[in-house]
Amino acid sequence: MVSNPLSVNVGNVSLKSPIILASGTCNFGRELAEYYDLSILGGISSKGLTIKPRAGNPGVRVAECDSGMLNSVGLQNPGVDYFIENDLDFMKDSGAAVIVNVAGHSYEDYIDMVTKLNEHKDKIDALEINLSCPNVKEGCMTIGSDPAAIKLITSKMRALTDLPLWIKLTPNVTDIKATALAAQEGGADAVVLINTLMGMRINIKTRRPVLTNNTGGYSGPAVKPVAIRMVAECSQVLDIPIIGCGGISDYQDVVEFMIAGASAVEVGTACLIHPALPVKITDDLKKYCEDNGLNLKELTGTLQRW
Amino acid sequence: MNLKKEYRIKLVSKDFLNEDTCYLGFECPEIAANAVPGQFVNISAGTVFLKRPFGIASVNKENGTFNIGVKVVGKGTAEISQFEPGLLVDCLGPLGNGFDFEGYDNVILTGGGTGVFPINFAYETLTSNGKNVTVCEGFRNASQVILNKPSYILTTDCGDCGIKGTVIAGLDTIDISDPSKTLICCVGPIPMMKAVSAWAQEKGMNCQVSMEQRMACGAGICLCCTVKVKDEGPDGFKNVRCCKDGPVFDSREVVW
Repeated sequence: MVSNPLSVNVGNVSLKSPIILASGTCNFGRELAEYYDLSILGGISSKGLTIKPRAGNPGVRVAECDSGMLNSVGLQNPGVDYFIENDLDFMKDSGAAVIVNVAGHSYEDYIDMVTKLNEHKDKIDALEINLSCPNVKEGCMTIGSDPAAIKLITSKMRALTDLPLWIKLTPNVTDIKATALAAQEGGADAVVLINTLMGMRINIKTRRPVLTNNTGGYSGPAVKPVAIRMVAECSQVLDIPIIGCGGISDYQDVVEFMIAGASAVEVGTACLIHPALPVKITDDLKKYCEDNGLNLKELTGTLQRW
Repeated sequence: MNLKKEYRIKLVSKDFLNEDTCYLGFECPEIAANAVPGQFVNISAGTVFLKRPFGIASVNKENGTFNIGVKVVGKGTAEISQFEPGLLVDCLGPLGNGFDFEGYDNVILTGGGTGVFPINFAYETLTSNGKNVTVCEGFRNASQVILNKPSYILTTDCGDCGIKGTVIAGLDTIDISDPSKTLICCVGPIPMMKAVSAWAQEKGMNCQVSMEQRMACGAGICLCCTVKVKDEGPDGFKNVRCCKDGPVFDSREVVW
């Protein structure tokens, strides 16, 4: 059998490609399956799920920016029970690894979610723990800004499941290494770097924020250098793998993240503009590997610092 | 299953309808063949980050072309209005759910602003299918009147042409003999659609409205462009996607 030059491993999770659809930019994959065969993907990270359904934030949820956008969707989702009943099998059948994104308002929420999802572990490849959504008032980023809280919640979840725990961290902290190390110490299998940067845009006629939630999360190519820097920094101190995320729009971006230290990557905002973009990135990565005579996983952490 | 595609399409015509609104024609046989009234396209707009959604205003299946109308309201639409024929743009479409005319003998089309573009497509489609169609369009004043036909009922806020008042004043002039067999479709600003919805309910007619919301993807994946609709759950409403679950909704479902 010819080896697949795009195959990568994130700890014990083998992926046929480093490309994972980022949570919140692909729903559960169904709509994108209208555009391409999802089995080319390494994985799909579900819309962030909560224990109960959430209607999300009211009003305007998107504000365009230079080289990116702010969103304040506010974790609109059908709730974990509905997901298990209606969407999990679709994701499993897609042929891509199933990453379930877990969000919460309290420690109990995360524990209840992990307990529930653990009962379906045969259909799930990893749990991505969202300690980083900036658009809800409690949980998520509040917990994810505090290393001690990250370590505690991660260790509580670790005790409940053998499923790989990927902790998605916020860039809205002073020291990303401290929060990433806290996740590792709590027993995480990987960290996902980064979620969106908190931002604001203002309508100069009304002097009101464009977003009804006032603030939102900034994503898109503009945040890529921030994400690359954080991946590179954490790569120097972590023993666990990193999944890079932030502004990836083409194959060069994937290569850049992997050199910085990522074992796999998540592509998000770019797919809102070009839904079938992962097909092109996959083809381009294959050609890159062929042209350079390498397997993609060889790139991880090969950064040569000055 | 045929997979949906993102097309790279050529701008083939451009006409200004008034000082800030232009009418663009694009070549794309697939969209021309498959689009139905009420659907939209999402097109790249020069240097701005996100695509911009536009209701389809007309299709020509023989030539493989379709039209959109663009009113300059911001940076993206300003850039699009500067496009010249020959330019290639990225396009997703046709997107969303169109109007459902099935089961109605008569259709009233009403709207204003850029809503007149999808109404134009609906009018062309319905008349070519032999349906009984009445159109009533409302504008602020005579200088804003675009894509108007002599058979249309015309209203202006200031009364400098047509009937003085909103589209409701125009709709009141229509003789509706069989409300249960008559559908009214409205595309326009929210206050207009809300008023038309109430008017239709009073007359015992079904009403479909085409909602608009700030959109990012147009494909139903980002959940940014939500519309509040009635729901039996504890909240009494739920947020659905304008782009994928709409943009056309039964007006009684919408939480105004």
